[in-house]
Amino acid sequence: MSVLSAATRAEVERHRDRYPQARSAVLPSLWALQNQIGHVSPEGMREVSEILGLAPSEVEAVASFYAMYLDRPGGRHHVLVCVNVSCGLRGADDIVAHLERRLGCPSGGTSADGEFTWEHTVECLGACGGAPAMQVDHHFHENLTPERVDAVLEAVRAPSARAGGDRS
Amino acid sequence: MPDTRPVEQPEDGRVGVTVDGRAVRVPKGTLVLDAATQAGVHIPVYCAHPKMDPVAVCRMCLVKLSTSPKLQPACATVVSDGMAVETRAPEVVKEQEGVLEFLLLNHPLDCPVCDRGGECDLQDFTQRYGPPTSRFPITEKVHFNKALRLSDRIELDQERCILCWRCTRYYEEITGEKELVLQQRGVHTLVATFNGQPLTSEFQGNLPEVCPVGALTHVRYRFVSRPWDLQRTASICPECSYGCNLNVDSRDFEIKRFASRDNPLVDDMWLCDRGRYSFPRWNSTDRVRRPLVREARGGVPVAVTLAGAVAAAARQLAAVREERGPGAIAVLGSPESTNEELWLLRRLAREVLGTPHLDHQLERFAGLAPAEHDLGIAETEECRAVVVLGEEPEHRAPVLRLRLFKAETKRGVRVHRLPAGTAPAQAVEAVGTGPGLVGVIADETARAGAAEIAAALAAAGATVKRLTVTRGPNGRGAKDLGVTPGLDAGYRAAAEGMSGREILEAAAAGRVGALVMLNGAALAVDGDDRDLLERALASVAVLVAVESRPGPVAQSATVLIPGHSLMEKLGTITSCEGRVQRVRAALPPATATATETGVLSMLAGALGSTGWPSDPIAVHREIVTAVPAYAQAGNGGRALFRGAPA
Amino acid sequence: MAEHRLLTEHFGMEGIQTLAGYERAGGYQGLRRALRELTPDDLVAQVKASGLRGRGGAGFPTGTKWSFLPGDVHPRYLCVNADESEPGCFKDRALIEGDPHQLIEGTLIAAYAIQAPIAFIYIRGEYFDQRLLLERCVEEARAAGYIGRGILGSDFSCDVIVHGGAGAYICGEETALLDSLEGRRGQPRLKPPFPAVKGLYGQPTVVNNVETLSNLPHIVLRGGSWYASLGTEKSKGTRLFCCSGHIERPGTYEMLLGTPIRELLEEECGGVWKGRRLKAFQPGGGSMQVLLPEHLDLPLDMEAVAQAGSALGAGAMVFMDETTCMVNVSMRLVDFYHHESCGKCSPCREGTYFESDLMHRLERGVLAPEELTTLSDICDNMNGKCFCPLGDTATWFVMSAYAAFRDEFEAHCGAGRCPVREPRAAEAVA
Ligand SMILES: Cc1cc2nc3c(=O)[nH]c(=O)nc-3n(C[C@H](O)[C@H](O)[C@H](O)COP(=O)(O)O)c2cc1C
Ligand code: SF4
Ligand code: FES
Repeated sequence: MSVLSAATRAEVERHRDRYPQARSAVLPSLWALQNQIGHVSPEGMREVSEILGLAPSEVEAVASFYAMYLDRPGGRHHVLVCVNVSCGLRGADDIVAHLERRLGCPSGGTSADGEFTWEHTVECLGACGGAPAMQVDHHFHENLTPERVDAVLEAVRAPSARAGGDRS
Repeated sequence: MPDTRPVEQPEDGRVGVTVDGRAVRVPKGTLVLDAATQAGVHIPVYCAHPKMDPVAVCRMCLVKLSTSPKLQPACATVVSDGMAVETRAPEVVKEQEGVLEFLLLNHPLDCPVCDRGGECDLQDFTQRYGPPTSRFPITEKVHFNKALRLSDRIELDQERCILCWRCTRYYEEITGEKELVLQQRGVHTLVATFNGQPLTSEFQGNLPEVCPVGALTHVRYRFVSRPWDLQRTASICPECSYGCNLNVDSRDFEIKRFASRDNPLVDDMWLCDRGRYSFPRWNSTDRVRRPLVREARGGVPVAVTLAGAVAAAARQLAAVREERGPGAIAVLGSPESTNEELWLLRRLAREVLGTPHLDHQLERFAGLAPAEHDLGIAETEECRAVVVLGEEPEHRAPVLRLRLFKAETKRGVRVHRLPAGTAPAQAVEAVGTGPGLVGVIADETARAGAAEIAAALAAAGATVKRLTVTRGPNGRGAKDLGVTPGLDAGYRAAAEGMSGREILEAAAAGRVGALVMLNGAALAVDGDDRDLLERALASVAVLVAVESRPGPVAQSATVLIPGHSLMEKLGTITSCEGRVQRVRAALPPATATATETGVLSMLAGALGSTGWPSDPIAVHREIVTAVPAYAQAGNGGRALFRGAPA
Repeated sequence: MAEHRLLTEHFGMEGIQTLAGYERAGGYQGLRRALRELTPDDLVAQVKASGLRGRGGAGFPTGTKWSFLPGDVHPRYLCVNADESEPGCFKDRALIEGDPHQLIEGTLIAAYAIQAPIAFIYIRGEYFDQRLLLERCVEEARAAGYIGRGILGSDFSCDVIVHGGAGAYICGEETALLDSLEGRRGQPRLKPPFPAVKGLYGQPTVVNNVETLSNLPHIVLRGGSWYASLGTEKSKGTRLFCCSGHIERPGTYEMLLGTPIRELLEEECGGVWKGRRLKAFQPGGGSMQVLLPEHLDLPLDMEAVAQAGSALGAGAMVFMDETTCMVNVSMRLVDFYHHESCGKCSPCREGTYFESDLMHRLERGVLAPEELTTLSDICDNMNGKCFCPLGDTATWFVMSAYAAFRDEFEAHCGAGRCPVREPRAAEAVA
């Protein structure tokens, strides 16, 4: 059984054919893999490596280098809170403490209901102008207060959650 | 344009630099590190490796250069004319201490139980350049896997790893395989395989030698010895005809490991696992130790002195010659004998016994010609293209694959791997017409096809040189020295005789009166050949055997004289490219009797031909007088027979 | 208003994120003009004349960089550095969101100048929506004939590929970016050879920052000498300063170079928040040395800031009020470098780990006073000895903060807590 769906496979092939050298498609292909199954699994990486004509070890070497590829399954939504300087100056630690309480697990953990995996990132998210900031499923949420965090999480949890960033 | 070079500047492509005040002239493009070595100044390195491209990651080699405000890596900086290099400037010394402190932060400090203790660059440099104490709290160290089996041959201790990248570069640059890679990043970086799968490379045994510390070690050398307790003997790998140089490391008369010994022209410092891990077989105590004589086949073996055995052998052989003529005697050597032994064996057959039936292996060599041995191993790098026929050459001589990979990736040589039966026209199509050096590499069995392809390529304009991968460590020497039917030393024509297989078949059919075998058991290794050998042994009336191992030959011999293993004697062997290299005794002999050259010399004397040399050095002198190519080769050079009569 | 709107002129304009909106605002006229009226050599000359310097951090003159490409080696590649991950930096994001086609136009102009058949926009993985936006804009531009074969009827062809990173600050370093783009671990390469000679896929390559390229349409339309008339002697034009920290109005402000920093802080950013006093600021992003209130009168000029011992770097301004603990800020930055060290060279990999360990213990107030010497000593063993600037810069802020706020660092030693943020406890002990 193949891990990659037909659509993901087609996407990886499209990336492969797009670049002057197939190897350049590793990052976008890993994204395709992660978008499909939520993380980058060894079997998935092996299939990607076959399509790109690489050794599986080369793909894993790359995948494990980058912080955004997840090496294990997590919750349905992924929350990333910045704790670098600008966010730190404007109260990121409070947001972290709030999330820890709210989701009932430490950074890197998944809430009991399986909805959220959250972690704090020391890599600045590039949202210092709206510090403190976080990303939920890659979308920015800025000028956070504990109340806003709750509102964002609720909105995502709801089935009617609307995609798209909110920078108010 | 006017020439503005200063007059005193000799235009020899060299530049002048000083290292700690010592002036040297080195070729343009030389690395500071190599210039320092030439000036006799030692610069400590971890990531730099003589066979790999610089990466400058460890920062151990930073030096002060007159050309730069910042310290620069000696391993990756090219000298410029007039550059002054300082390796002991205060800031350099401080930086060296600093790097060592960093490298030791997360290092386990388990030298007492580390296999590399005593030959570890981390231990050595810390003593020589290191900080006196560690300022890093031991409780804060990052922990990784220790004693992780990467395969049944290699173990990895991730905590000892200093991330010099040598092992991963070894895979990438030297073998082209991608088994070992770096994973994660930053302080969590580690050396690992895909999803923890075992290594499968047939070259993984080089890893512990490439690793400057005790991170990668041999499973088979685990807790075996300290380097200072080992006795080191320079020799040649006995596994195949490629001739890799190695060191035999032994202790208490037992070989503990084979270690590589860099010969840039041959192995380029790499061994294959088959060769490297073949050492245990030489430790076997299952040996023929005493001369025995049976007066007739199936008779009771009687222990005798060596002199008694030699006399009995002479008597038995003389009787057969008397009765059935010299053609009833056949002589078989093996590709595991030294040149000196083979030389005397050839003399015994051709000059004393007078038989043309002389060979060193089973296959017949139709069209054996010196031209098939022209191409040198290192010369492949100078070729425009190389044709490798079939999988046999790289299978028989695995390190050849590394050389071809180097030729391909570092020298841009195009390597065409074609099936053994490829038609000449197809080979020309693959390689393309036109001038330039083209190599053709084949196994002995593909000799005829290789000759045709070479001819076709030559007709298409190329200069063609061939390399034939021979069998055993010294199959090539046996041919050079005339231990083959129909060809005498130096590829001179001789009376036609039976090949090894024909000899055994004739013996099995009762058509051979006496058989002389030197190391004969090595001839027949696989099933069918063993059968044939056993049938032959069962039918021959007189079997004079010099043999080191018990087995069918020893069991059937009417005269059995103990032999010495390749690890127990001095002599030369000739690799497939014709390189005449020295093997040396790394172990004491298992028997008190004379070595093979001594035995052969005694036997000749007993048969009436006296005055033969008996020690290998004297025999070698005889060879170089008789075979000029060997005189030219000297020790370690190549014997070239170009233009010799076929 | 001291703000000088050139690159940000159309920020917030209705429909600017679409091709139609951008064209309404006069978009793609620069590209049109370049293709019709200028040869690639003219273009390089114009950019040289403009005095434009790279906005990615190092400030290297852009036209000069382009002219390093060897004459006859093709293909060449252009890489747009949109990896922006320097702490405090978000101006490239602002440019992408605020005027995405301006960047694409600038990219195409640069690609034309160096005759690159493909331009890659390497955008950091966290800028997910921003990548989608750029991809959409690239498709629009392609459909309108600005990207592809024979652009606008000329014989210049160029494809633009938006390439997403995946979380690694080091990929902003230009050679690491190239390795990452080639599908490898994003680690810096040994130089020489420099990218201009041997870059992406071993071919001559130019790497330029988003903001650098966003300037090009304006330079083409209004001329290099016009651009050179803006700014100071060596710092030409405007720059986007992304301001954050303890200020009333964090955000991105485009300033004419040469304007005093005080003007940026007081007029644009609304001054220090909550009526507090400024304690310190960092002018160029997480890598740069700390400056003090007395430096507020420095002009926004690369040379002037460098003389004060810091750098304008990537144009990030982080302001810190009087309540800020400099040890805490240093610790966060050191953590960042520790987390982002690629692990290639030992001083950076192990040094940032050591540094981080020391800073955490200092912040908790459990460091022994003599270990501060260790801190400066290991920083000295890193600075200038690492493979790339990441490891060097991992020491700059903390060392400058230690020099400027020595008392504060020392007060932490053995205090058992942070004496700045918990002053009363400190007094009680005293
Ligand atoms: C560790 C490190 C990180 C960097 N990150 C970025 C970055 O995110 N964006 C950027 O444009 N330049 C970054 N740079 C600078 C680039 O190496 C390069 O100088 C720049 O992209 C060149 O573009 P410019 O000449 O237009 O400024 C970084 C440099 C270093 C050493
Ligand atoms: S295992 Fe040895 S060779 Fe490999 S990176 Fe670590 S120290 Fe270097
Ligand atoms: S030996 Fe030069 S940096 Fe490692």
